[in-house]
Order: sequence, then structure tokens, then C-alpha cells
Amino acid sequence: MNMNYVRPRDLAEAFAFLAENGRDTTIIAGGTDVMVDLRSGELDTRFLLDISRLDELKGIRLEGENLVVGATTTLSDIYHSELLTQYAPALQKSAYNFASTQIRNVATIGGNVAHCSPCGDTVPPLVIHETKVVFSGKKGERRIPIEEVATGPYRCFLEKDEIITAFILKPVEADFADFQKIGRRKDLAISRLSMAVMVDRDSDGIISSMKFSLGACTPTPHRMTAVEEFMTGKKVTCELLFEGGKLLAEKMIEITGRRPSIIYKEPAVQGLFVRMLYPVV
Amino acid sequence: MNQNTVQIEFTINGKKVTTNIPSHVTALHVIREIMGLKGSKEGCGIGECGACTIQVDDKAVNSCLMLGAQLHNRDVMTIEGLSKEKKLHPLQEKFIENHAVQCGFCTPGLLMSTHAFLKENENPDRQEITRAIAGNLCRCTGYQQIITSIEAALQDESCRGGE
Repeated sequence: MNMNYVRPRDLAEAFAFLAENGRDTTIIAGGTDVMVDLRSGELDTRFLLDISRLDELKGIRLEGENLVVGATTTLSDIYHSELLTQYAPALQKSAYNFASTQIRNVATIGGNVAHCSPCGDTVPPLVIHETKVVFSGKKGERRIPIEEVATGPYRCFLEKDEIITAFILKPVEADFADFQKIGRRKDLAISRLSMAVMVDRDSDGIISSMKFSLGACTPTPHRMTAVEEFMTGKKVTCELLFEGGKLLAEKMIEITGRRPSIIYKEPAVQGLFVRMLYPVV
Repeated sequence: MNQNTVQIEFTINGKKVTTNIPSHVTALHVIREIMGLKGSKEGCGIGECGACTIQVDDKAVNSCLMLGAQLHNRDVMTIEGLSKEKKLHPLQEKFIENHAVQCGFCTPGLLMSTHAFLKENENPDRQEITRAIAGNLCRCTGYQQIITSIEAALQDESCRGGE
């Protein structure tokens, strides 16, 4: 195998390398997706650019109005972050059941997003926080809404000379926030369905605002504004949850069409929605 | 055939080494085939079974999913580094006493996961233990003996230490 390993000293060196060799380069951070593709032979690349040591890409911090999560922040760091407990608990929750301890210790949020798997668990929480993804390169940076990062399954909007450097979230201290998923088993499961939600209620228990995103069962992540609008301004009851879940399933089918798996997914999506929001009742 | 190599310098089980490795190989390959330490196993090769678990800077990781070159400047511990002077580590004794070893293929990985977990958790309950070893598959025991061993280890302060 004729592959070179490249470890840049800083971000500027990484940008310069990509400007020159971007077409022949695959970026590696935690490696938990790249190594699987390398082993299977699916990935054949001239250069592996290791960005896992770049300090500029690490860490979670508040910057003015924004919550910034560095691209090579690991899922373990996300799970243990007190800032996220306060300002983005759904993102933190998505790290809880993410793969296994060994994988969470190295896998990065940037890799999870850049891989553009429809099943990426960090994506629905990033969607409800109206995240902008920072794409950077030698020529400068641009900020792309999270929903536009994947142009299709495993296809990323990123140019060959760019790196995802950070995620800019709107910090929210919501009354209720959650992430839920269904996989074939409990641990190390690839999500079949996933969803993230944030809800605020007024003193009468009426939903004053809601943000909701569906993951895994559509080719790219989707904020479900129709469901948000339906729920907002209403008092949460069990009946309302079932109606909201039904609407959600209908909206999902509008995107995916009636595929064979719909016999399972239609009730499952509704059920997961009801289960997730039941604590609000 | 042109095979690209990369020089890495790292600490393995307390010993500093510098070596040239092919740039595409996994950390597991470096440990087994270049360092000759055969305790870490390859089960699935794609990060699902945990038989290859090692500790890198005190954290449990799957060595099959780590590029060998990424070991550079890291502090690595494998199962060979757990016991001292030909005596078993107290955690290994607990595994034996509680019948947590049958075919033994998963054992090195489980010990690495458990050892890393106990360093960070003072008083975990059974559910937390189960979660900590969720990335390690065992097809023999049904896990109960393993979890019991870890619970026994919690009662014994000496199980936490060691290099």
C-alpha cells in the first residue's frame, strides 16, 4: 500500500498541505471510520493527514452569544462537558450511547459530521441548536448550516482543500431537552431512528417554543418545522403527543417515500416521539 | 513494492521505544507484529468486539481502529504491562477467582477496559460497570462472572493501581 502519513504541526501547515495535495488526501482524526474503510479497501488514498493533535481544533467554550465546539473534541469530552449539560444537553445525551467507551475516547464530533452517515448521532442535536459548521482552508473560512453539510448519504459539502474546524451552536437553557435513538441493540448500535428535541413551556404548561430534528431515517438530517409549529401554543397531553407523532411520521414519508421498511418505521417514529416527550406531560 | 514508513517514538508498558513502521498499519499490528506482544487480540478488526483494547494515555481504545503512526509520543499500556514481576495483577486474580475467564480471547481486552474504568470511577454500580465494558464482547461467560469480578475488585484497593 503506497500511503503516506502526514502530521502537521499546526493548522496553517495543514491548510497549506491541503491546498497542494487536497485531491489525494484523506483527513484522519479519531480514525474510527477511516480505519474501517482503509481495512476494507474501500478507501485508497495517497496521504492521510492526521489532525488529531492540533490544539486549535480542541475544546468547548462560550464565545459571546455562541457555544463553540472544536472539531476534534471527542465524544467522551462531549459527554463529560459541564458547559454542554447547561447549554446543549441533547448533544451531550447523544454522546452517552454513542458506540462504546473505546470509540468515544477517540472518535470526534467533526468526524461524525464529516462522514455524513445519515445515522450520525451528533447531527440531530446540532440541528436543533441551529449550528453553523466552520469550513476552513488556506483561502479563508465559510460557515455552513449543519443541514447543508451532507449533500447526500456519505457525501460532504466540504471542498478537498478544507477542514471542518468548529461547530457554532446557539446555547439554549431549555426546560426540557432530549436525544433518543433506536438501534438493533443497545450498545455499539447504528441508529435506525434518532431524534433530538428542546421544549420551553410557559407557566400554564403551554409549549412556548419547540425545536425538533429527525435523524437516521432520512438521507440527510431534517429539522421538522411542521411538527414544531403543530405543537407550539398547545398544552402537552398524551393525545397531543400521539397526534404530533402521527404528523411526524407523515412528514418523514413525504421525504423518504413509502419504502418497504415503512411498516416498521411509521409506528416506531411515532412511538419514539411519544416516549421521548412523555416526561413533559 | 514501495512501502512508505514513518518513525514513531512512544512508551509501551513503561519502556521508551523508537521504531520505523509501515505508515498504513494499525496500532494493533505495531503491538503484535513489531513489538511482538501477542496479548492483545484481533477479533473483528472493526471496533466492535474490543479484544484489541489497549490503554493510550490511560484511556481505553480499540487498537485495531488506531493508526500505528498515531501512537507517536503516546503512553501505551497493553495487557503485558498490567502484571509486575511475573505476579498477576490483583484484578487478574479477581477474574480467575470469579470464573470470568473461559476461552480467554476477550480477557486481555476486558482487563484493559476494566483497569482504565476503575482509575476514573470510585464507586460504580452494576449498571455503570455493564456500560463500561459494553465495547467488549464475550461469547463464553454471559458476562455475569465478569461483572461479579469487577464488583469484587471494587472491594480491593490494590486492583486500582499498577502500571
